[in-house]
Amino acid sequence: MTGIAEKLASNQKQVAISEFFEKNKHFLGFDSLARSLITAVKEAVDNALDACEEARILPTINVAIEKMDVKKDIVKLIVEDNGPGIPQKSIEKVFGQLLFGSRFHAIRQSRGQQGIGITGVVMYCQLTTGRTTHVRSKIASEPTAAVVDIGLDTRKNKATKANQGREMWYNADGSAKEHGTEVTAQLKAKYQKGRQSVWQYLRMTSIVNPHAQITFTDPDGEVHHWPRVTERLPTKVEAIKPHPHGIELGQLQRMTSESTDSRLTVFLRMNFSGVSARASKELCVAADVDEKTKPKSMNPDQIRALLEAFQGERLVNGKPVKLLNPPTNCLSPIEELLIKKGLSKTIDSRFIATLTRAPEVTQGNPYQVEVGLIFGGNMPADKPVEILRFANRVPLMYQQGGCLLTKAIESVDWRQYGLDQPGAKGVPKGPAAILVHLASTNVQFTSEAKEALADNAEVIEEARKAMLEMGRGLRKHLERKKKMAKTKEKFELINDILPAIAKKSADILGKPVPDLSGSITKIMSAVISETETVWNKETKQTDVAITLFNYTTRVRAYTILATWPEKSGGTMINNDTGGRKEATGVWAWKLESLQPGEKTVISYSLSNLERGDWTETDIFFRGSQDVIGASKMDEKFLEEIRRLEQVLTHNSSEDEDEDEDEDEEEYEPNEPLGEPAVAPPSGQTTLFGGEA
Amino acid sequence: MTRRHTPEETKAAMHLIVGEMYDRMVKGEPPTMTLPVRTKNNIAFDKKLGVYKYGKKQSIRDATSLGSAKQLLRALHVVEFIEEMLVAGKSSTLREMYYISEAWGLGKFGSQNDSNNLAEDLEIVTKCLREDFKLRPEEDGARMIGNLTLRERNRRGEWMRINARDDVGDSGYGVPYNVEAEKIELLEHDIDFIMAIETGGMFDRLIENGFDEQYRCGLLHLKGQPARSTRRIMKRMSEEWDLPVVVFLDGDPWSFRIFASIAYGAIKTAHISEYLATPSATYLGITADDIVAYDLPNDDLSKKDIEALKAELTDPRFADGWWQEQINMMLELGKKAEQQSLAKYGLDFVTETYLPEKLSELGLA
Repeated sequence: MTGIAEKLASNQKQVAISEFFEKNKHFLGFDSLARSLITAVKEAVDNALDACEEARILPTINVAIEKMDVKKDIVKLIVEDNGPGIPQKSIEKVFGQLLFGSRFHAIRQSRGQQGIGITGVVMYCQLTTGRTTHVRSKIASEPTAAVVDIGLDTRKNKATKANQGREMWYNADGSAKEHGTEVTAQLKAKYQKGRQSVWQYLRMTSIVNPHAQITFTDPDGEVHHWPRVTERLPTKVEAIKPHPHGIELGQLQRMTSESTDSRLTVFLRMNFSGVSARASKELCVAADVDEKTKPKSMNPDQIRALLEAFQGERLVNGKPVKLLNPPTNCLSPIEELLIKKGLSKTIDSRFIATLTRAPEVTQGNPYQVEVGLIFGGNMPADKPVEILRFANRVPLMYQQGGCLLTKAIESVDWRQYGLDQPGAKGVPKGPAAILVHLASTNVQFTSEAKEALADNAEVIEEARKAMLEMGRGLRKHLERKKKMAKTKEKFELINDILPAIAKKSADILGKPVPDLSGSITKIMSAVISETETVWNKETKQTDVAITLFNYTTRVRAYTILATWPEKSGGTMINNDTGGRKEATGVWAWKLESLQPGEKTVISYSLSNLERGDWTETDIFFRGSQDVIGASKMDEKFLEEIRRLEQVLTHNSSEDEDEDEDEDEEEYEPNEPLGEPAVAPPSGQTTLFGGEA
Repeated sequence: MTRRHTPEETKAAMHLIVGEMYDRMVKGEPPTMTLPVRTKNNIAFDKKLGVYKYGKKQSIRDATSLGSAKQLLRALHVVEFIEEMLVAGKSSTLREMYYISEAWGLGKFGSQNDSNNLAEDLEIVTKCLREDFKLRPEEDGARMIGNLTLRERNRRGEWMRINARDDVGDSGYGVPYNVEAEKIELLEHDIDFIMAIETGGMFDRLIENGFDEQYRCGLLHLKGQPARSTRRIMKRMSEEWDLPVVVFLDGDPWSFRIFASIAYGAIKTAHISEYLATPSATYLGITADDIVAYDLPNDDLSKKDIEALKAELTDPRFADGWWQEQINMMLELGKKAEQQSLAKYGLDFVTETYLPEKLSELGLA
């Protein structure tokens, strides 16, 4: 008789699965025709990226969308990757079973925390078009690719297979494909353009996956290409055990009931992170449960008491049990330099700042915030800035207003950093885009739709701090721009306007045009510097030219200092003016006799850099008279940096190869003072030693 | 006293400015242009002339900033342009000059306002008039109705005799932009006073009600802030015919300013106040106490209105006790009223009650 019962249960389940899908399509991502397409692309691309990451392959992903039946809104989606491929017998599991895979239970940062996976897409195709999904996959060890059409038997809640077989798989260029997977699905969906589109999803995906190459052929046949900008794969993340602060009652109940440990203390030490031997004993005391208790035999009250001890509601000696923080190596941030590259390949701009904060822990879950800000270029100045939100490298495209990451942006008074923000409220306006990425083992969303992150005061504060720091960088950039504009104005004045005044007045009066050198000196009455930092296409170098004009009546002497990307591996070449290293990333030249009315040019090139790596050079000066276009060197500041550098060199030499940091304000250890590396050219003296 | 200049005098005066720039450059200094500060902080009452004039504060516009240098270059282009017009016997509107400046390259104007201001600057420094420069304003002058007769020289150079009651239609006599002796001669009149009116609606109301005939006056429509020619012809009629001028405006801070520019001289044109202002003009209404006394429909003062009133409290032209009282009263009331709000009591109220009452206070009715 059990057979009938099972059958009934199974029937119930069948109905439930289809109905479940129908009732919950809004949070499964299939609530509108436009969004369904994005979701389908997202599931397929996420799978491809995850598989490549796991197999340590640099992903190359091609996405194509074709319109099949415009009236009925049927489109065909093809997503092809170069991942490791799926063995034939696993294909139906991957594509045909809801909630397949280990990632649902593992505590680590992964893309797949969101959505129900590719099975949802297969089901959606089946429900809307009655079509199966064609899968072709090849693993490196087999000569041919497996092909199969996957459908879902909604009555049996099982995958159906048809037209199973094997075939040769060739790339477009005729070569044999080594490994990879291709999914071809037909679904009812609508292709849209704009902020919420497949294009935007792929563009955002490309920003946070700089190691991926993504090509998208849209329904009009237009090809969008986002190249790979780094060969470095994201660090492999480690799975960690749950931390007592992040656990819920249901989970704890399941863990105890499944435990085979003989003692509660052992169970606590082995199954949780952050629990030391002493803490495991203290937890037992706090929960008032004998430490020898078998976890499996704990009663509900004991489990509840244990949870209260976890959460610090039950005390030992008047204090909550002290737990260690969970390890944070389970996080895989994108990292500053790569965010910078990802942003600059997608958006044309004048300024980029990126920042990766140190990992933090909230409610037992490690998390890390990363931000990026890109400014200028062709972005519209009178519209709200573009917000690019990501959770574990997955773009969030809906519900922007209700998201923690947006709130963090809104909490900053952007006016002080040079963006327009009426009443210091809301999303700032200006030609900028702000990127925020939250990497976490447990991303909390506001709803099952998984498009907006739920409020968490600690996380907001982290994101806010990161934003403030970036904002300071933006302000510096704008100040520098202002300075440059001021210099430009002065030059326009003396080079264009003044000669025109001289000529016109002479014409009107019928007199000879007066000599202007005296007037120019009086007008400028300063030393002016003009700096150009330009990418040289031919030499693949960044050329820098610092020009100093002495528009005063006296001979002037200065030390000019310039920042350069030494820490990022840049090399300074063709520096004919010599000079010397002042600190890591700061070069100095001593100019001893700048004659009145004369100009001097310091020029050099930076090699080993890519385009966009170094676009602005900061110029400082030492000397009594102001230099327009440069800042006075703050010696105390420089000393402080040198002191820190000394400490760093002595204490942590193993940290030397740490991530490159392009922030101009941080300088690495200084070399001991000595002779200049490059001989001074004639006619000019150098800062230390070299007499011309 | 400002007076008209011959083309030669005008040219010489302009060359003084050019010379200042040139000489400075020869001396190895930045070129400059010296002109009086043109704010309310630098206007003072001239007892001899009975109007407000610029005080002694000078500002030196020198070429040490890009903006000022461009202004100097523009001034040179304008001087050259005026000289060309003087030679060719042409004139141009300020707006035309603004468009002509398109061809001036670096010296081109950024906005029409720039060109207007510069024309005024030149007037101030050279003591010449816009008319000497052959520059005409865009704005047209006022309309006039009443039993007064004048001669205007038409385009063919013939003198036309016009009576502003009998020879004109309902829109009245249109005051041309040039009202100087070479263009207009005041012949005779049979009126007791001139009434200047802010709005067209009120002007037409008084005409329809036959107010000009009943009260033997000339009516002048100001069209808001009056053009120079409007102020100038009022001044001429008041002086040459020895007629009192009464001013009938809305009751708000901006009307007070209009009156000040008529009676005391406008800040922007303080260099020629004695030429434009009519010191004997009287403010008839709407006053702050009219709003209360006649219980007029009113509006709340806006933030801008309040700011304007407060600025007027420190304006030397309103230093007089009566004005201080009116301004403070309006601030206290927090209200303003339009002249047409008198229609609350019927269309004839203004001509049968309000104006006769107000005029009798002045002994004009």
